[in-house]
This record gives sequence, C-alpha cells and structure tokens, in this order.
Amino acid sequence: MFFYYLKLAKKSLLQTPITTALMVLAIALGIGVSMNALTLNHVRSANPIPEKSQQLFALQLQTMNKIGTRHTYDDMPMQITYQDAINIQRMSSSTRQVASVKTGFAIQMEDPDFAPILQAARATQSTFFEMFNIEFLYGGSWSKAIDESPDNQVVIAEELNEKLFGGGDNIGKNIYLNQNAYRIVGISKSWNPKPKFYDLNSGQFQRTEQIYVPFSLLPVHEYPSWGNNNGWGPEKIDTYQDKLNSEIMWIQYWVELVNNTEKVDFKHFLSSYVQQQKKLGRFERDDARGTLRNVEEWLEYNEVVGNDSNILVGISFMFLAVCLINTVGLLLAKFLKRAPEIGVRRALGANQAQVFLQHLVEVGVLGLLGGVLGLVIANIGLLILRNQFDGFDVLATMDMSMFIAAPVIAISATILSGLYPAWRVCTTLPSIHLKTQ
Amino acid sequence: MLKMNNINKIYRTDLVETHALSEFNLNVKEGEFVSVTGPSGSGKTTFLNLAGLLESTSTGTYELDGINVVGLNDKQLSKIRNEKIGFIFQGFNLIPDLNLFENVDVPLRYRGFNSKERKERIENALEQVGLAARMKHLPSQLSGGQQQRVAIARALAGTPRFLLADEPTGNLDSLMARQVMELLEDINKSGTTIVMVTHDPDLARRAERNIQIVDGQVCDFTLYQNNKAATEHAISA
Repeated sequence: MFFYYLKLAKKSLLQTPITTALMVLAIALGIGVSMNALTLNHVRSANPIPEKSQQLFALQLQTMNKIGTRHTYDDMPMQITYQDAINIQRMSSSTRQVASVKTGFAIQMEDPDFAPILQAARATQSTFFEMFNIEFLYGGSWSKAIDESPDNQVVIAEELNEKLFGGGDNIGKNIYLNQNAYRIVGISKSWNPKPKFYDLNSGQFQRTEQIYVPFSLLPVHEYPSWGNNNGWGPEKIDTYQDKLNSEIMWIQYWVELVNNTEKVDFKHFLSSYVQQQKKLGRFERDDARGTLRNVEEWLEYNEVVGNDSNILVGISFMFLAVCLINTVGLLLAKFLKRAPEIGVRRALGANQAQVFLQHLVEVGVLGLLGGVLGLVIANIGLLILRNQFDGFDVLATMDMSMFIAAPVIAISATILSGLYPAWRVCTTLPSIHLKTQ
Repeated sequence: MLKMNNINKIYRTDLVETHALSEFNLNVKEGEFVSVTGPSGSGKTTFLNLAGLLESTSTGTYELDGINVVGLNDKQLSKIRNEKIGFIFQGFNLIPDLNLFENVDVPLRYRGFNSKERKERIENALEQVGLAARMKHLPSQLSGGQQQRVAIARALAGTPRFLLADEPTGNLDSLMARQVMELLEDINKSGTTIVMVTHDPDLARRAERNIQIVDGQVCDFTLYQNNKAATEHAISA
C-alpha cells in the first residue's frame, strides 16, 4: 500500500501545484535556516580527535602573581611560558608531550619566478605528529635529536606541497622560509581538525598550519609568535632571549597520558614542579597549581560551543516551527477540501488508519521535497557565510551527517505537523460528503 | 441478507434531538431487489448510511450477511464494507483525478488483491458495463450515464453480495436511466442483493419489492396512501 500512497501523494501534490510549492517553500526555508544554525553548532561541538580525546591533555599553569588576572572562569592562563615548557619537558622526559606556537614565514623557492607567499606555520616538536595522529604522504617528522640540536628541517602539508611543487615526493628539496633554506623531511597528509583544538587562541576554526618547523629553532631564528602573547606584569623585554626568559605566556602545551596511573603520576610531578618554582620565587599565588584538561574538557573550558550558538539553534528551530504552523494551515485546508474523495474511499472500504497513513505519506513526501530544497538553501547560506566572514571556511561546511539530518528533520517535523490535518480528515464522517459531492 | 430490528437513529446537537429512524424494522432476503421510496426527510438516506455501515445505530440490532455489525470497530466495519457491500451514488462519486481503471481499482486496493488479480477484475468489471475501451479516460471525459456505469463497475469489481444504490438514475436522462436500470436488473439476476433508494415510482415498481419510509419508519404502502388521501380531503374540506 505504501507505493499506492506514494502514487496518490504525487497526484495530489501535482493537482495543486501552487499550494504544494508554498508548503515546500515554507518547509525549505525553515529547514534551510535551522540547518545553517545546526551546522555551525555541530561543527563547533564536534570531537576533533575522538580516538585520543581522553588521552590528550592541555596543560595550564597558574604562574601569575597576586594581581595578575586572565579572563577564564578559574583565572588560569590558557598558555604557558617558554621557560616552563622547557623545564617541564626536561624534568619529565618519559612522558610524551609537545610544546608548540603559531608563527609564520614568507616562503620563497629556488625558482626566481616564484612569487613569495606569506604562510602561517607552527614551531613544534617531533612528538606533535605522533600525538595528534598526523599521517605522512612522504617522509616523516624530523628526528628527536633535532628537538635538542636545532637544524633547518621542515614538514610541509599536502596542500602546500601541491601549491609549491604541484605534488609528488619532494623530500630532500629546499624551501626558503624568511630567506633561510629548510630541507623538507616530511609531507603530511591533509589534516584539519574541527575545532582546531590544539591552539584555540587564534581562531577556533581556522585551518591548520601548512608548515611545521622544529621548536628548537625558536632561539636560533627568533620566530615571532602569530598568536597571543599574554603578560601580566611589567617586564623589561629588549631581546628575543628576554622574551624566552620572561613570564609571557605564549606556548601551547599538550601531554599524552594513556591511563589513570600516568595521569596521577604526572599530576604529582606538576605539584612538585609548582612547589619547586615557588621556592625559586615564582608562582606567588596561594592557588598556584597546574591543571590538565582532556580535549573535550578543553573545548568546553574555552566555550567553543557558547550559549550564543545554542540560542541561535533554538531561535532557528522556532523559525522552523513558525514555517510548519503555516504548513499545518495549508495542509488542513487542502485535506479538508478533499474530504468528499475521502468519503468515497471510506465507503469503498478504506479504514481510518489507511486514510490517516495515506495523508501522512503525502506529508512525508512534502517534507522530503522541503528537506532537499532546504539543503540547497542551507548550503547557499553557508556559502555566503564562508565568503563574507574570515574563519568560516571550516566552520560553515556541512558534513555527511548534516546532509542526512536535513531531510530526516524535515520529514519528521513535517509529519509531526501533518498529524492533526491527517487525523481531522480521517475522522470526518464519510456519509456527509457522499450525498453532497 | 439484511436484518434490522428496532433500529433507532438519533442525531443530537446542543439544542436539538432529531429522530431520523424510529423503531425501524426491515428484512431483505438474499438475492432480493428492493426499492426504497419515501418523501424528503423521511429517513431514506439515514437508512442507507446505516445499511452501508457508514454510520452507527443509536439502538437496535443489525445483521448483515449473518454478522451482527452493531458494536464492531472501524477496521471491522471497513472490511465488511469493502468485501460485502457495493455502493452506487446519485452523483456517481468517481474520483476526478483518477482514470477509470484507477477508480475501479480503489476498493480492490483496500482488499489487498495482487496487481494481476486487480487488473483482471477491473477489466472484467469495465467490460461488463461496456467501458473496457475507455479505461484510461478521466471521468470528466465521459457522459453522466457512462460515469454511472463506471461507478457500477467499481461497485461490482469486488464481487459484493449486497449492492446499495442511492438514486442511481437521479442525474441521468430517461434513456440513460433505463440502461442503468437494466444493468442493475442483470446484476440482480446473477444473485446480488440490491437495495435501491429512489424517488422515481416507475423505477421503484421495477423492483421485486417496494419499501416506503415515512417519518423514520417502514410504512405499509396502502395504509400510507389512505392516510395521505384522508389528510388531503380534510384540508380541502
């Protein structure tokens, strides 16, 4: 009977093309707007590294004095100082951990015709790639030795490799970063976690960097930070070395702890480190401490999915509800106009459930059409967002789950709104219409 | 085939209570052709709706083909309507956007026949009413008489045992009316019980038996005529 109902639905919808178009448009507008909001919310709330999100921990240290303050609910800085990064790494070398900072370069090639391009980069350590599950097309990371003894080596991302060389294995070739030659040791596969959890300071949904250079080169080439540099008190900083020795917090620091024992041990280590630094005259506050937050906790702490996002989703679904209420009115008028036909069907043996189902199938088809058109509207909306606002190229992109969700939501919502009209028409007394038809 | 005993049908609104049928009794035997006549508002349509299970009785008992139908739920009543009753209406009641094949198909769909059996039944039914060649036509492309023949084909396709006809020739000219009536008589000869509501005394006379409904009750025809004559005489006097 389902296919019979589908056939009847098609006839019915084609019979009143203007009403059908109005209903589809109303549903599509509601779905388009709500899917826009839902997509933004969905991308914001996605787990960017589900296979490791419980093992990777962002490290925070309360290094400020009593008057220093940060805009977090617990007053903890989001980044740490260079000296703490180096200290912690040296004192707990058995734990897998990584320090990194966003920087950038003007890229030049040996080809004199190549116009230099400005590109964001990340100064980091060899563990970065292992910890964050970054795969390689060619080569790999620089060796651990380079993390101690700096050398001009570089890993470039697949996209940049395409841009610079047109793709292919270019291991061993040189590129010039700020006019210094760097040897390519690895070409990483495309990697674009959403949100960019490992560094939420400069755009939570920006694309990942395309260039990775050894963190150990920071003092050598004095890379500028392209992210936040948070100070909390007066300091005399004249040289890059002054910055490295300062209390400026500008380094992102992650630790990988695979089980609870490792987590407990590392927390003990952090406590002892804080006590040691207190003795050295740093970490003046009574609540000086280190904290660890796994990826999900870190995203929540940084309010990646803020209340505004949830409110936007709520409002968009209210708009969908308004569109559906309009659809209910149109459906009611359409169905009741058809009551004489339903009277005939009831006389010929259709029971109420069959009539009800027939109308729900028609409503479902309307929902499907509205959902498909809604997807188109949603994608046009997302395209406008991507073109109009920086940082939306990742955020305003629909993934497969959203593509599936749109028609499912549309059909479910439309069927829900069609329940009353379908019930009204199926409970109408058939005898009234048989005589008057 | 049809046994109605002490049937009452009362329509209630907040202000008014209307007794459409009162202590209504009727027995129609299998294979009978019964015509039902009566003045407007006498209860003919209410009787037809009750007989066709389109409405429920307020009180009384009703047996159709040996089944006590009082108190059955919607699904059970719909099944009986679909399997045992064929309807023919004064206004034909064809679905305008379905072609003849699809119109005749409607009751068969609810019966659950497979497509092969449906096709056979539809073709046979349309053949029987002489419209097999026009099965892809829409009702609007046919004359009134042809539309009524399609309605009869639709009623016959499910091979019902009981045919309810409500003014089947009311919207037709005399030639068409005669053809439709002859068709109904043929159907009756093949064993189908027919109850036909009509205003036309000539058609009513062609049935085996005529029932008169007056004020919601089955009325003895002779007594009714005498009462009517007496009333008219009293008024004129």
